[in-house]
Amino acid sequence: MATDTLKSTTGASGAPGGLRRLLLDNGALTALIVLVVALSALSGDFLTTDNLLNIGVQAAVTAILAFGVTFVIVAAGIDLSVGSVAALSATVLAWSATQHGVPVALAVVLAVATGVAAGLVNGFLIAYGKLPPFIATLAMLSVGRGLSLVVSGGVPIPFPDSVSHLGDTLGDWLPVPVLVMIVMGLLAAFVLGRTYIGRSMYAIGGNEEAARLSGLRVKKQKLAIYALSGVFAAVAGIVLASRLSSAQPQAADGYELDAIAAVVIGGASLAGGTGKASGTLVGALILAVLRNGLNLLNVSAFWQQVVIGVVIALAVLLDTVRRKAGATPVTGGGGGDKGKQAATYGLAAVVTVAVVGATSFLHNGSSASSNPRMGLSLSTLNNPFFVQIRSGAQAEAKKLGVDLTVTDAQNDASQQANQLQNFTSSSLDAIIVNPVDSDAASNSVKAADKARIPVIAVDRGVNKADVDALVASDNIAGGEQAARTIAEKLGGKGRIVILQGQAGTSAARERAQGFAGGLRAYPGIKVVAQQPADFDRTKGLDVMSNLLQAHPDVQGVIAANDEMALGAIKALGSKAGTSVPVVGFDGTPDGLNAVKAGTLYASVAQQPTQLGRIAVDNALKASQGKKVERTVKVPVKVVTKDNVAGFSG
Amino acid sequence: MSNPDELLRIEGIRKTFPGVVALDGVDFDLRRGEVHVLLGENGAGKSTLIKMLSGAYTPDSGRILVGGQETRVNGAQDSERLGIATIYQEFNLVPDLTVAENIFLGRQPRRLGMIDRKRMEAEAAKLLERVGVRVSPRARVRELGIARLQMVEIAKALSLDARVLIMDEPTAVLTSEEVDKLFAIVRQLRADGVGIVFITHHLDEIAALGDRVTVIRDGKSVGQVPASTPEDELVRLMVGRSIEQQYPRRRPDRGTALLSVEGLTRDGVFHDVSFEVHAGEVVGVAGLVGAGRTEVVRAVFGADPYDEGTVRVGGNALRRSDVNAAMAAGIGLVPEDRKGQGLVLDASVEENLGLVTMRAATRAGLVDRRAQHVAAERIAGQLGVRMAGLGQHVRTLSGGNQQKVVIGKWLLADTKVLILDEPTRGIDVGAKVEIYQLINELTAAGAAVLMISSDLPEVLGMSDRVLVMAQGRIAGELAADEATQDTVMALAVSTPTSDNTAKEATRGH
Repeated sequence: MATDTLKSTTGASGAPGGLRRLLLDNGALTALIVLVVALSALSGDFLTTDNLLNIGVQAAVTAILAFGVTFVIVAAGIDLSVGSVAALSATVLAWSATQHGVPVALAVVLAVATGVAAGLVNGFLIAYGKLPPFIATLAMLSVGRGLSLVVSGGVPIPFPDSVSHLGDTLGDWLPVPVLVMIVMGLLAAFVLGRTYIGRSMYAIGGNEEAARLSGLRVKKQKLAIYALSGVFAAVAGIVLASRLSSAQPQAADGYELDAIAAVVIGGASLAGGTGKASGTLVGALILAVLRNGLNLLNVSAFWQQVVIGVVIALAVLLDTVRRKAGATPVTGGGGGDKGKQAATYGLAAVVTVAVVGATSFLHNGSSASSNPRMGLSLSTLNNPFFVQIRSGAQAEAKKLGVDLTVTDAQNDASQQANQLQNFTSSSLDAIIVNPVDSDAASNSVKAADKARIPVIAVDRGVNKADVDALVASDNIAGGEQAARTIAEKLGGKGRIVILQGQAGTSAARERAQGFAGGLRAYPGIKVVAQQPADFDRTKGLDVMSNLLQAHPDVQGVIAANDEMALGAIKALGSKAGTSVPVVGFDGTPDGLNAVKAGTLYASVAQQPTQLGRIAVDNALKASQGKKVERTVKVPVKVVTKDNVAGFSG
Repeated sequence: MSNPDELLRIEGIRKTFPGVVALDGVDFDLRRGEVHVLLGENGAGKSTLIKMLSGAYTPDSGRILVGGQETRVNGAQDSERLGIATIYQEFNLVPDLTVAENIFLGRQPRRLGMIDRKRMEAEAAKLLERVGVRVSPRARVRELGIARLQMVEIAKALSLDARVLIMDEPTAVLTSEEVDKLFAIVRQLRADGVGIVFITHHLDEIAALGDRVTVIRDGKSVGQVPASTPEDELVRLMVGRSIEQQYPRRRPDRGTALLSVEGLTRDGVFHDVSFEVHAGEVVGVAGLVGAGRTEVVRAVFGADPYDEGTVRVGGNALRRSDVNAAMAAGIGLVPEDRKGQGLVLDASVEENLGLVTMRAATRAGLVDRRAQHVAAERIAGQLGVRMAGLGQHVRTLSGGNQQKVVIGKWLLADTKVLILDEPTRGIDVGAKVEIYQLINELTAAGAAVLMISSDLPEVLGMSDRVLVMAQGRIAGELAADEATQDTVMALAVSTPTSDNTAKEATRGH
C-alpha cells in the first residue's frame, strides 16, 4: 500500500483521469501528495529511497495502532487505551521471555493475549457496563500504563533477539516494520470489507438500534471489535519494542491521539459508520511525512508542534469541504463537479501555501552553506535543564560556524529513534544524542555508526552501541552528594521523603541509586516515603501535598531534580527552608534563585550549558577525525546559599 | 401585483442537484387568510419547494415575489425578515430548555444584558394562549408530548409575527382528536389573515381545511384546483393515473395460528395482552397514541423486556427480550421510527437490504457479498424501489422507497410473521398502495401480518380483524365486517376494566 502511494506520486506527471478522480474522492490523499511535493521542493534530502523508507518505518507503529482504532471508530466508539495496551503487551512479552525464560513463541502469544484481554475488558465495560467508550478506554489507558510499570518495575526490559528482528531490515533495504504495517493494513481492509464483524461495524456505527432490530448481536460484536483493536495494539507494541530492542514501560505514551488523528484524517467520521483502512494509512503517512520533513528542514522543535496541529486541521478541513461540495444524492457527471473541484484545489493551495510558508519562514539558517552540519536530539524541551543544554550547544555551534539542528523527542524513545534515523539519512557530519532511554537508543546509534557518522552522547549514555564520547555529569555521584548534604544538615538523624524522577528513565534510576548509596552512611536518617513525581513541578507539588497528609512530621526532602524540589517547596509552604530543608538536583536557573532566596537548601548543580557546549566541541573534533576522550565528565557541585553567588550554569 | 391580498408568488422555479432535477417549472401563490394545500407524492419536490421559501436552498432560475417585490431568500434570517415561518416534520426545539426559552430562542428579551425571564414567560404565556394550548411556559420541552411540541412550534412562529406559515405534514403524528384541535388553531390563524401553506397526504383533510390545492408531480406544478375537488380527481392529478382501489385487500383463507401471545404484561406499560395471528391473516392494531401498541409489538419481537406472559410462534415459546430468538422463529419488525430504528441511513440500499440476512450469508466469518448483492438486486426489483442504484445511500431515498427497503430486508429473510408499526406514515398514496400489495402477496404466500396504524381508514381497509388497544390493554376485538370508524373509536377511548384498574389509576398520579 505504501508503495502504491509512492507510485502515484511519481506517476503524477502522467495525470491520467483515474488518478484525478482518486484525488478528488480522497482529500487526505491529495493533502499527502501536496505535502510530499512541497517537502521535496524544500529539502533535497526528502525524496530519496532511504528517506521514504524511513517514513514508512516511522509511520508503522501509528498506522498499526490506527488500523485497530479504525474498527472502533467505524463502530461509533473510541479507543484511548491503544498506546498503553501496546506498551503493556510489549512489556509482557519481554518480561516473560527475557526474565522468566518463557519460550519466545509462547511469549508472543501471551503479548497478543494481553492485547485481547485489555480489549475484552474495554468491550465488556462498554457493551454490558454501559460505560461511554471514552470513559471505559480512558480507564484502560491508565490501568494499562500502570500495569506495564508494575510488570517491568519501571525499568526497560531488553527485548528477546529473535523478536527484535521485526525491527530489522530485510535484504538491506526493506524494513520489516513497513512489511508488518502493510500486512496489518491488508488485514484491516479485509476485516472491514469482507467479514461479518467488519460489516457489522458499519451497521452498528451507522445506526446501532437498527442493527439490533435487524438481529445483529450488538453487545457481542462490540466485545469483538474492542478485542480486535487490542490485537492491533499488541502488534504495534511489539513492533515498537523491536525497533528499540527494548520494551519500555513508558513507550507509546500519547500515541492514541496520533492514531485517532490518523483515522480521522483518513476520512472516518467520529460519529461512526464510515472509514477505510486505506484512508487510515494515508492519515498515518501524513503525520510521519510531516514529522520527518520538519526534522529535515530543521524547523524549531517548538514550531513543529504548531505546524503539525495546523496541518491536521487543514487535512480534515480539506476532506470536509470536499464532501460538502459532493454531498449530493447521486454521483454522476454534471455541473456540480466544478464547484467540488474548485473547492478541493482551493484548499489544496491553502495547505501548500501554509506548509511552504511556515517551513521556509521557520527555516533556521541556509542549507546551502558548506558549514559542518550536526544534529542534536534532546530527550525533551519541557524542562529548563535541557533547554539550557540546547542554548549552550547553539551558542557554541554559532561560534564554531556549525549548522546545528535541534529536535525534541518529547520523552518518547521511539520518536527519538525516528529523529536519529532522519539525521543519519541526511548524512550529517556528527550527531549528538541525549537519549530518552539508554537501551532504546542503541539501535539508532548502531545505524549511525554503520553510516560512519560520529555520535556524541550527552547527559545520559547509550548502552550496547559505540558512541565516540559521553559528555555527562555523574548522576550517581551527584545523588550521593545530595544524600550527604541533607544528612549533614539534619545532623545525621531525621525522617525524610524522596521524590523520584520519571519511572523508567536512566536519570531517575541512577539518582535514586546515588541517594540510596549516600544514605547508607547515615543509619539515623529514615526514608519514610519515596514516590515518583516524573521530574515535573506540578506533580512534585501534588505528590508532596499527599505525602504531607501521611507524614506531617517530615524533616527533609530530596528531589531528583530542581523542578520537583520547587513543587515540594510550594507544598511545604513556610516550612520550606526553615524547618524542612529541601535538596534538589540540576542547578537550573529557577533552582538557583530558590537557593538564593533560601527556600531551597541546596541543589546538586550540573552545568547544562557546559554539557551542551562541550558536546558540540567534541562532536566537531570527532567529525574532523581528531581524537576525543571516551568520557568527558562535567563536574557537579553542591550549591548552597554560601556559594550560589559565584555559580552560573 | 393585481391582488393586494397576495403574500407570496413563485414563478417558474427550477432547482437541480447533480444528476437530479428536483424542481422544473413550479408556479405557486399564496394569499392572505387562506390555507393553500401542497399535494404531491413523496419525492415530487414539495420539500425542496418549501426549503426555497425558508432559505435552505436557492433556486437555479425563476422568481420568488414576496408582497409583490422580487426577493432572494438566502438563509433563515432572510425568511424570518420576510415573515415566513416553517414548521418541519422534525421539530427544531431544544429538549432541555423551557417552552418560553424555545419560543424566544436567540431572541430572548433582555434587560441590562441579562435575560428578562419574567417578561419572556409572560409573552410566551400570551402566545400559548393564542394557540389554545394549556402548558406552562416554564415546562421543559422534553416533558411534552408530540402534539404540544407542535403547538410550541406554532407559538414560536407567531412570536416571529409570521405572515406566511408553512406546515410540513403537521397531522402525520397526531391523533384525530389532536388533529381537530390543530385545525381549529389553523382556522383561527387564517381568520387573523395569516397565509398558510399546508402539506398533507391525508386527502380528507384537504376538504376539511383547505381553500386551494396545488398539485406537484415530478418537480412540476401540474394543476391548481379548489379544495372541494373530489378525492379521485386529486389522486389522479398527484400520481398521473387513477388509483382504482385505495385498499386492495384480498383475503386468502385463514390458516393455523402462527403467533400467539398470552397474558403479556409489563408493569405500568401494558397489561394482560393476549391475541393470535393466523397464517394468511392481517390483524390491525388500532388505538390512540400512547395506548401501548408499539410497546407490545416491541416486546413480542424481543426488542424490549416484559414481566409476565408468553409469546409463542408455531407453538414454541420464545425467550423474552431476545431479538435473535424472535427472528429465528420467523418474526420480523418494521419499526415505527423508520429512520431512527429501521435503517442505517448513511449506508447503501444494498447494505440495508442485506442487514438481516448477513449472518446467514456468512461462512467462516466471511460475508458472501456477491450473494448478498444478487439477493438485494432481486428484492429491490421485486419491490420496485426507485433509486439510482443499489449503492445509493438510503438517506437520499424518498420515504416510501425507504419503507420498501425496510420491508425488503425482512422479505429476504423469509419472515413468517411480519409486524408493521405505522407502515405508511409519511408515505404518499401511490407508494401506500404498493405497500398494501406487498401485504397481500405476503399473506397469500401463507405469512401473517400484524399491523399497527393510526390511520383508521387504513386499518379498516386492510385488516381481517382489528384489535383495539386503550390504556395498555386490549379493549376489544372486531371482525372486519363489524369494524367501522365509530366502533373502533368507541373502544379506543373506553376504559378497559379489569381487577387491577383501580391500582393503575392511583399509579397514574
